[in-house]
Amino acid sequence: MSAPILEVRDLHTQFFTDDGVVQAVNGVSFDLHEGESLGIVGESGCGKSMTALSIMGLVPEPGRVTAGQIRFRGEDLLRMRAEDVREMRGRDLAMIFQDPLSSLNPVLKNGFQIEEAILAHRDLPRRQAMERAIGLLRKVRVQAPEARARDYPFQLSGGMRQRTMIAMGLANDPAMLIADEPTTALDVTVQAQILELLRDLNRELNTAIIMITHNLGVVAGLCSRVIVMYAGQIVEEGSVDEIFERPQHPYTWSLLRSVPRIDALRHERLRSIEGLPPDLMSPPRGCRFHPRCPFRVDRCFSEEPPLEAFGEGRRAACWVTMETAYAEMGAADLVDVRPGAGSGVHGVTEKRVG
Amino acid sequence: MATVATVDELIAAPVARAQVGLWQDAWRRLRRNRLALVSAGYLAVLAVIALVGIVYTPYPYAHEGVGLPYSGPGPGHLLGTDQAGRDIFSRIMIGAQISLIVGLATQAVVLTVGVPLGLMAGYFKGWIDTALSFVINVFYGIPDILVAMILIVIIGKPGLGTIIIAIAATRWMDMARLTRGQTLSLREREFVEASRSSGGRPAKILFGHLLPNALGPIIVQATLGIPAAILFEAFLSFLGLGVPPPTPSWGSMAADGIHAMRIAPHIVLAPAIGLSITLMAFNFLGDGLRDALDPRQRR
Repeated sequence: MSAPILEVRDLHTQFFTDDGVVQAVNGVSFDLHEGESLGIVGESGCGKSMTALSIMGLVPEPGRVTAGQIRFRGEDLLRMRAEDVREMRGRDLAMIFQDPLSSLNPVLKNGFQIEEAILAHRDLPRRQAMERAIGLLRKVRVQAPEARARDYPFQLSGGMRQRTMIAMGLANDPAMLIADEPTTALDVTVQAQILELLRDLNRELNTAIIMITHNLGVVAGLCSRVIVMYAGQIVEEGSVDEIFERPQHPYTWSLLRSVPRIDALRHERLRSIEGLPPDLMSPPRGCRFHPRCPFRVDRCFSEEPPLEAFGEGRRAACWVTMETAYAEMGAADLVDVRPGAGSGVHGVTEKRVG
Repeated sequence: MATVATVDELIAAPVARAQVGLWQDAWRRLRRNRLALVSAGYLAVLAVIALVGIVYTPYPYAHEGVGLPYSGPGPGHLLGTDQAGRDIFSRIMIGAQISLIVGLATQAVVLTVGVPLGLMAGYFKGWIDTALSFVINVFYGIPDILVAMILIVIIGKPGLGTIIIAIAATRWMDMARLTRGQTLSLREREFVEASRSSGGRPAKILFGHLLPNALGPIIVQATLGIPAAILFEAFLSFLGLGVPPPTPSWGSMAADGIHAMRIAPHIVLAPAIGLSITLMAFNFLGDGLRDALDPRQRR
């Protein structure tokens, strides 16, 4: 595999609120390779969006990146001048957001907004910028791009708005695109179209994509590698197949189990993960997942498990990996739990260990 | 060729809607407001009268004795004459110029000072905001008339420019505060973050993204600021602090006539009524604009 274009090392992002310090991102490290599509999954508030905003240098007040490195093509963004980072945003790194309607300026025409994203980094005559904007709209498969460029955002459908946002993101052929829940605000059929578009763009333009989502189906469809985050930390990493077939962290396992399945037996109840994500102002001692973990052992209460590498590109932070848990439960082999796979873990009876 | 639609046109056809921009939409709603329309019509007539006054007045406005002093309205002198025998209608025309210039120029100054300050304070927050808010509160703390009088004395040179600056000094805070408030809420909107994430410069975000979104309330505020400025000028002129004679201002004309109110009320009434109707017209227009530009009333 090619050299990573993005290396995040031991990233810490904290929010200094009046009530105390919130550790939104706590020691996150990962690589992103050229042209790769990486998924970051986790519940709301697990730090996935803040990781993205830290990379973009857009952490909102009163937050701040307090430690770590974010190396883009070898250069640490955290040590660069703010003006240089601003120059890179939109040119080398781009980001698209969850709600395309609120991400577009309501009083400016779509074409003009794409044009602006182009002109922020290039010295082009307005007409050429507009031509490029229309070309981008065509590239993201907006029909009649000339007419849509003259529309205001409120005149477009949700899917077209998100396509417009993607066109803005691609305005300057960035090396990587961070997509923060880009399909959450869209309905399912449109979601599928947008994902397909992102997948094709990823292949055709070789743009690396970081897909931030809580939707495992999205990850399965788009990404080759997945990072699972919980309470500001990475708890597991691996290829999509590995994560879905052999999840090692109980949190990943629980996430997979809480995906509604069309082939589930009628009497099976949809399982949710009990409890709430921890308060990041005072995270629990030991493993951060232990209050909600069905497999916890004594050690989990006091000692924090390190994120350990095992096997090809696999990492997990758990004292009781799922392999151990299954062995102790005496359950059958781990089964494929991808949506659409033959049978899932739904059938496994829940047992407590430890 | 002309009859064959391209694929794009065919695809576009079913979804093509009337291209109604935000401003056309506001204009459509304003047109439905009769009071605002009548007001706009009146102001247009007033503007024409003021413009005509540049090249033509029935009598020279500063000439004394063009008619008998204190004569009432009649065919020779449309609105009569004042205590020095000057033609009141001619003076009203010149007074309209003064009022409109003061009203518009003051708001121009207020906009150029208040809007950028408000944008910066609201967007950057921090010490800029603290400093601006402090200055605003200081200005609010001093009575308007005192601020204006001090400025008129400091500048020393009586004239239209002095008046405009003096009035603007008492009115810019509202605009700065309004813009700051708008910016504070707009800066948290996602499109600002989106613009930042595509590498937008702060100046571009301020004037390209925040200002257009805050424009509606700013326009309304500016429109409603015009009558306030006109009234303040009339007030200053009434006190003798306004435009120096012989240039007539509606305020100084009213002051001239106040002594003879019993025997020749028309000397006071003409400028007073002109002033009142003009103030009302601007206020109605401002209200109409507020309704028209309010996005929540979008239909």
